[in-house]
Amino acid sequence: MPNEYDPNHKIDLDKNTCPNREQRANGTNVYYGKATELIEDAKAGKTKCYDRELQQTSGCVLNFYLTVRVSTIRDAAIIYHGPLGCSSSSLGYREIFRSVPPELGREANFELNWITTNLQQSDVVYGASEKLKNAVLEAQRRYDPKAIFILTTCTSGVIGEDIEGAINEIQPEVKATIVPVHCEGVRSRLVQTGYDAFWHGVLKYLVKKPEKKQKDLVNVASMLSYTWQDRLEIKRLLEKLGLRVNFIPEFASVGQLEQLSEAAVTAPLCPTYTDYLSRGLEQEYGVPYFLYPSPVGIKNTNEWLRQIAKYTGKEEEVEALIKEETKIWAPKLAAIREKLINYKGDGERLEVLGSLGQGRLLSQLPYFDELGLKSSAALTQDFDNLILEDIESMVNDVGDFDILVNTFQAAEQGHITRSRDPDITLTCPFQGGAYKREKSVTRLHALRGDPDPWSTQNGYAGAIAFGEFIIQSLENKSFENVMKEKTDDSYKDSWYEQPNPLKYVNTESSK
Amino acid sequence: MSSTENGDIKTKNDSEKPKEQFTSHELGKDHVEAPKYSCALGGAYGTALGVYGLVPLLHAGLGCGLGQLFGQLYAGGQNAGGPVGGTSTATTGLVEEHVIFGGEDKLRKLINASSEVYKDDKFVVISGCIPALIGDDVEAVIREYEDKLPIFHINAPGFNGNSYEGYELFFEALIDQILTPLPIEKGVVNILGVVPYQHIFWKGELLSIKKLLESIGLKANIIFTEPNGFEKLKELPAAEYNIVLSTWNGHRTAEKLQKKFGTPFISFPSVPLGPKQTSHFLRTVGEKLEVPSEKVEKFIEEEERRAYRFIEYTGDALLIVRPHSYFAVVADSNKAIAINKFLVNEMGYLPDIIQLTDNPPEEYRESIIEALTEDLISTTKPEVVFEPDAYLAREKLRDRPFQFLFASSLEANSSLPELGALHVTVAFPSFNRVVLGDSYAGYDGGLRLLEDYISTFAGPL
Repeated sequence: MPNEYDPNHKIDLDKNTCPNREQRANGTNVYYGKATELIEDAKAGKTKCYDRELQQTSGCVLNFYLTVRVSTIRDAAIIYHGPLGCSSSSLGYREIFRSVPPELGREANFELNWITTNLQQSDVVYGASEKLKNAVLEAQRRYDPKAIFILTTCTSGVIGEDIEGAINEIQPEVKATIVPVHCEGVRSRLVQTGYDAFWHGVLKYLVKKPEKKQKDLVNVASMLSYTWQDRLEIKRLLEKLGLRVNFIPEFASVGQLEQLSEAAVTAPLCPTYTDYLSRGLEQEYGVPYFLYPSPVGIKNTNEWLRQIAKYTGKEEEVEALIKEETKIWAPKLAAIREKLINYKGDGERLEVLGSLGQGRLLSQLPYFDELGLKSSAALTQDFDNLILEDIESMVNDVGDFDILVNTFQAAEQGHITRSRDPDITLTCPFQGGAYKREKSVTRLHALRGDPDPWSTQNGYAGAIAFGEFIIQSLENKSFENVMKEKTDDSYKDSWYEQPNPLKYVNTESSK
Repeated sequence: MSSTENGDIKTKNDSEKPKEQFTSHELGKDHVEAPKYSCALGGAYGTALGVYGLVPLLHAGLGCGLGQLFGQLYAGGQNAGGPVGGTSTATTGLVEEHVIFGGEDKLRKLINASSEVYKDDKFVVISGCIPALIGDDVEAVIREYEDKLPIFHINAPGFNGNSYEGYELFFEALIDQILTPLPIEKGVVNILGVVPYQHIFWKGELLSIKKLLESIGLKANIIFTEPNGFEKLKELPAAEYNIVLSTWNGHRTAEKLQKKFGTPFISFPSVPLGPKQTSHFLRTVGEKLEVPSEKVEKFIEEEERRAYRFIEYTGDALLIVRPHSYFAVVADSNKAIAINKFLVNEMGYLPDIIQLTDNPPEEYRESIIEALTEDLISTTKPEVVFEPDAYLAREKLRDRPFQFLFASSLEANSSLPELGALHVTVAFPSFNRVVLGDSYAGYDGGLRLLEDYISTFAGPL
């Protein structure tokens, strides 16, 4: 039975958590075909999740995004209710934003706090709600936070911990607002379920009823793969319009989360990251939102600003701003485009293969087109119906392309990279051995703690910086070449020689 | 007390105690800020990745491997996963339906597919929390492959232990499932007690030890980073001696090897750092392995002469800027012991507080304290604290005289502004120090430590 997808579906904050992306938006973890075919299949409700017989580790609901980033909320404490290994990826918490100089607007003094309940064999047998409650008390005592986030794990889930029960008991004893986030890795195959689970907790427990509407406040939900400079660029542009930005959730204060309901609009950097929050804020507090486009490339930055202006009464100012900015930046982009278009010297465009999230899929392909690059194919982590309309309109703009939905499967990506042999491959930072090749390799995603203007990707400054970055990637391939020549590949030749990158998808395992 | 536990001794009544009575050890067990290790799966996984040619298969959740990429590999000296690590690591990726129906079939399929695709052809299955919770009979699945593939299984649920435990579990599984007796080879020793990634200088330390022993005519099987690592594992029973370079890591492994193959072992409190410790190490090993003492002494003499002649170059910067300074250490036992002895007994420094972050089991703690406080030349002795909780460790560093902090990268940013101490990253987690072949092992390791810490204050004199 195909699942009907309702683009105007409601979210239900009476529930303990969100539905999984699989259910909420027919999310899938496997696809290889034309984007137009994927769109047709998605419309017909035919997209499904599958098991892979060769699966490679790619992140779970907890350990892709939440462990590394929720722990950056400034005046909060995070409790990981699980064995200590589930949170070891949070060990960078004391360094992650410190490389941003305070001169660039980073708070000079801040502490980030997290603890693990460190579940043991005996807890698994006898339950651990006492331990959780003790951890809450200890977090309150030690850190005096404004909010305590409780992040669940596979183990707390499988042993059936009653998180809400424990919270109801302990909340009266602590000043901080306790926010449960149900992010057990086993609950979903799609890491994006973790975003929704986090926003569910924020919407349900933290966002306050608006005391006053702040007509000049714009919520911008940013995520890990945008840098501090992106933040500065967005701030620069919106301030020129007389607007203020509420950047959440990374490195935000709890107060910033509480006041989400007072904003004039919620704007995306990554639409599917923001969707659940945007939807919730509109449904509960009438905060309007838009999900497309993201401010990547000059064309889409213009459009992103226009969308914001629409909700903030800045329609006239925005046209003046766009005119002013375009005068500065468009010639620079034209020069980059000129260089890239003529790079091969045979009239052909450079072919780029990007490893993207589905939000990045929407933002990058039009931008690559703007840069004069060609993307006949794109890799995306997952795909769901939240972006159905937007991907359709994008395909109308940039043309059809092949799409591989593959949750960062390294062997599949290696196979496709080798068989398509693009001029540039944009590997995700965690992409193992996929960088050993003759042609160019670089990254798409930069990281939040990177304060270098060179790594900007958003807005006008980002459109130029990343363009220059791409050119640099073409100028020297010695690293990828040397690695290819001098180190082992992970897989046998036979893996690359057989034609099907999805060979190990178990087609009978649809969920 | 079981050494498989992450924390310290916990009695059944612990949870009923009011929280004011918690000692730090019990806190370490109940709720810990940022403990400086990962789980048993993380440790077993890191250990497996250190064996070149061995392919780890994680029978675990979808994110266990990715989590360890961040929390064990990046944290262990900012290292990427290599050809079979990180996102290149295969996993059964268990989700809800496997919790309900079991994950055994998924594992079988993963082994089959992996043996077809991966270039390397030796496998280790590492089971995490979920299979243990749902009762998968992993052993039975592995038995099906006994005659088909070199494969073994480590049962390493995260709720049963930390990374150090994962290292022991790796070897215990190997000994039980793979190793068979071999004729003893004279002059061959195995090196144990250096835990890949947890001991951030593991690669350089092992290589240095191998070279040192080669210099006195011994052949060291360091296992990790050697080509054909699986063969090196299988050769473990051929050693004449096992050498354990830790007060507690590798001891269970050495005892098990002794029990099963009769291999005697010698243990040292750490990887030797600087001339005194290294010369002592070589003399002791030389004596046990019946190396002619002239050979050992000749090498020691040459190396000491060179090392001290080089150390003399630090004289002015050291004496004019930071002589006889107080220092603190927040690190694993191995690293803390080695640094403490070197700075106190050879560099004239004063130990202030030493916090051990590796949560060693109770039965080893006395020997660790001894190694840290006895045979010290200074009249000041260090205060020794076992503290796995990062918050409590920070609190215990306040209002103390130390001018240098040898610690993990967690302390890097606050060391100078908050504690007034110059910081050197020497322990896990090490995000701000990339460690490839670097180490503090041996004669040259002492020089390297001097370069690192004197450079934190060196300038025009």
